[in-house]
Amino acid sequence: MAQPNLNKMRTAIGGLLGAALLAVSLAAPAAAQDSGQVYQPTIWIDPDGCEHWVMDDGAEGFMTPNLQRNGDPVCHRAEICGVMPTDQLFATDRYEIDANGRATLENFFRSANAFGFMIYGHTDARASDEYNMTLSQNRANAVAAVAQGIGARVVDIRGFGERRPRADNTTVEGLQQNRRVEVYCLR
Amino acid sequence: MIPIKTIAFGLVAITAACGQIGDDKSVDRGVNAHHLSTMVAGIWVDPNGCDHWIIDDGVEGYADARLTPDGRPVCSGVAPPNTVIGPFQQGSPIPDTL
Repeated sequence: MAQPNLNKMRTAIGGLLGAALLAVSLAAPAAAQDSGQVYQPTIWIDPDGCEHWVMDDGAEGFMTPNLQRNGDPVCHRAEICGVMPTDQLFATDRYEIDANGRATLENFFRSANAFGFMIYGHTDARASDEYNMTLSQNRANAVAAVAQGIGARVVDIRGFGERRPRADNTTVEGLQQNRRVEVYCLR
Repeated sequence: MIPIKTIAFGLVAITAACGQIGDDKSVDRGVNAHHLSTMVAGIWVDPNGCDHWIIDDGVEGYADARLTPDGRPVCSGVAPPNTVIGPFQQGSPIPDTL
């Protein structure tokens, strides 16, 4: 008894959804053509270097971030204050930092004159995406641990694997440039 | 005593400044006119402890999220929740009396 009722309900809901979709698909093109007062924004760039749409409509102001379709903000990252080539910090596939590397990093974090740091690991495109996500996260964690070891404030740590290359992964130089830990200074 | 003409002219000027904005919203018109790209921000920390840029631009106010490279909120701990720091009122000489 319960089953047929449920099916009926499904059919009814399906019908309603269909009608709603039809209404939307009929209404949308007309609405897009009819309305649409021109609101021309400009770009405001925040102290981190990221863009925001901004409009002054007389007595009101409006602001919203300029995002790519994937949700990444559009930024001119002048405040990437350190790009550590990982070849100098880590052996291939490893994420331990030796005494020399530690000293270099400590020196960097001490002299950066920043309120806090955001630390992002990246790899080249060799090995699997999943492997590289883990490796870059471990390397970012290792660099962050050095910062925290001298009392620096670490605001964000993340590994992006091979997903955000800086350079071409088909050349030796490009691969090398992509193996890196980036440090963003928050001031 | 201020001549009536002056008052009338003043009203016309204010109306002209505020009445017609047009399609281009990229400029703050009227008193203290400037392009919006020149505004100076402070940081407002929301109740969750995350940072927002905040700008008091005279008559208008703006706020927008501070974001990580992949679009998550930056929660830096630069100030306690529900507080604001930095030069967010320096963008305009119009006094904020409230």
